[in-house]
Amino acid sequence: MKRIDAIIRQQNLDNVRDCLTSIGVEGLTVMDVLGFGRQMGRTEVYRGCEYRVDFHPKLLLTVLAREDQVDEIVDAIIKGARTGKIGDGKIVVTSIDEVVRIRTGEIGKAAV
Amino acid sequence: MEDGKKGNTMQTVVSRLRGSLLLRGAPMLLAMAMLGGMLSPCFADQGPTPDPSGTATGDRTTTTDAAGNAFVVPGPPDPTAPDYAQKKKDYDEYQAQLAKEPLAAKLADHVGHVRVATNFSWTLLTGYLVLFMQAGFALLTCGLVRKKNAAHLMMLNFAAYVFAFLAYYAVGYAFQFGAVAINAAPLNLGGVPTLNHFLLGSGQWGFLGGKGFFLSGPAYDAGSLCLTLFEVVFMETAGYIIVGAICERITFWSFLLCEIFMGAILYPVFGCWVWGGGWLSQIGSTLNLGHGYVDFAGSTVVHGVGGFAAMALAVILGPRLGKYGPDGKVKVFPPHNLAFVVTGTFILLFGWMGFNPGSTLGATDLRISVIAVNTNLAAVAGSAVAMFLWYFMFGKPDITMACNGMLAGLVAITAPCAFVSPNSAVVIGSLAGIVVCLGVLFNDRVVKIDDPCGAISVHGYCGWLGSVCVGIFADGKYGAGWNGIGASSYLGHAGQGVTGLFHGDTRQFLCQLMGATLCAVWAFGATYAVFSVVNKVKGMRVAPEVELEGLDIPEFGLKGYPEDATVTMEA
Repeated sequence: MKRIDAIIRQQNLDNVRDCLTSIGVEGLTVMDVLGFGRQMGRTEVYRGCEYRVDFHPKLLLTVLAREDQVDEIVDAIIKGARTGKIGDGKIVVTSIDEVVRIRTGEIGKAAV
Repeated sequence: MEDGKKGNTMQTVVSRLRGSLLLRGAPMLLAMAMLGGMLSPCFADQGPTPDPSGTATGDRTTTTDAAGNAFVVPGPPDPTAPDYAQKKKDYDEYQAQLAKEPLAAKLADHVGHVRVATNFSWTLLTGYLVLFMQAGFALLTCGLVRKKNAAHLMMLNFAAYVFAFLAYYAVGYAFQFGAVAINAAPLNLGGVPTLNHFLLGSGQWGFLGGKGFFLSGPAYDAGSLCLTLFEVVFMETAGYIIVGAICERITFWSFLLCEIFMGAILYPVFGCWVWGGGWLSQIGSTLNLGHGYVDFAGSTVVHGVGGFAAMALAVILGPRLGKYGPDGKVKVFPPHNLAFVVTGTFILLFGWMGFNPGSTLGATDLRISVIAVNTNLAAVAGSAVAMFLWYFMFGKPDITMACNGMLAGLVAITAPCAFVSPNSAVVIGSLAGIVVCLGVLFNDRVVKIDDPCGAISVHGYCGWLGSVCVGIFADGKYGAGWNGIGASSYLGHAGQGVTGLFHGDTRQFLCQLMGATLCAVWAFGATYAVFSVVNKVKGMRVAPEVELEGLDIPEFGLKGYPEDATVTMEA
């Protein structure tokens, strides 16, 4: 079982969701997050004084998957989230020990 | 154990009572009010009888034609007057007409009453518009500060209205208009001049009004109270201007003192000099300076006083923590809600349609259309210039500066709005747009006065500018007889009104320059003198840790936005 975490641009969420549902993904968790990557912060001017925006607002997506689904899901996220410009985000895949569905008590692959 | 607990609780309650000026100050004010009510018979005097019911306000004496010529010919004329023969002839003709057509005279009584009623409606309704500006200021300033101080800022705006109002009711109105109230516009609001006594000074050298305390006795009059409503909301405007410069670091109790000072002393004194028949309004006749000091709707009387008082308080309080780095570099605290800022600015623009046109104190003065258009023109010109100036200096127009530019145009046109042409209004608004931008940069970088909302630049600097602009751009088309100057002719022309430098009256310009500068000196000086002492006695600024946390919880126990609260809120 794998957990796929993707940091994406806020405006790409609809695209990514469509790409994921079209390949049959049944669950998705989204969080608002702040951070920076290679683009670092940026500088703006307010009332004549420069200030730095160190963190950009992004979304963090979490999808749980069986091993055989991982490549397809990663491709779908890339398809939905890539613009080709700096700041598109990252995808992280990690192995997980256990998954439990709270309602039925199912565990393991059945709960993914 | 239980006793100890009780003791602690008692102590908490007592210390809360001690700490809360609200609980100490409110009963004091109410007691003063009751005292005023009881003493009101003592304030009654031998002067004209007031008309609380309004049934005697407005008769043939308030009937005029479009040019303001009265229906009634006063008399009998003084035999020693130079034009006695003409006056005697007019008077005799009028008396003969009265005797011949009693019905016409009776009709004139009705016309005069309706005229006053029309002007009452206008003055009160425009007053309500000005009252609504409170909401605009609250939104504008709240939007410009950090989220952690939103509730505190809203409470400052709210309490400003409450306490300054009570102070103005108690003594402010009497100080400002105690010598000349409705008789400043007797033909518009009717009534008899019941407020006619200077506490300090007399005749053309009055410094402080002296009748009408607690709005009782001679001030308990329909015409006078119509003016009171209109004037109290003006004072409130000066009162909440200061919020913009002192927010995010002032304690509530010291803020209340500022507001009471504003409503009782600072605003009424200068207001008396200019609008209450005081010495500044009379220097046209006493010192031969044009029409005397002219400020139509309060560029200096309201905005200048508020702006320069705000400056003094901002200097006393010092900049917000972290505003200036160790190297003197300016740190930015971005606004937390731009929708509030823009909405607030538009509400202020809307309220200004009461502020300036309403200052005619009468809808029968048809100059109101010119005033309304001039006011709007200056607003849009100021905003456009601020947007472009910022674009050229920093690459992007700044939304908050665009809003400040609009307010700067409004503040600057407030004094000249009735006396200038629409073209001049555009020029005045544009000048204000430049001044406000440079003023903000000057305060931030050169003198390092921390002014979170730009109140000093918008209301102080542009207020000064606006008043001086009267002396430059006034075209003489309006204001004949203003402050008692040149009722029949001025500068050799019949009907010549207030005239500026560009139209041939240098002395008016000098008068405006002097008066506007005096306003700045008075507002800054008096506020600085009083509150630097207050600040020594008990610090006006919150503790540094409170400032870092945000003032909402330490001062009021509530967050502006419940989702930021540290405790779980019930859904």
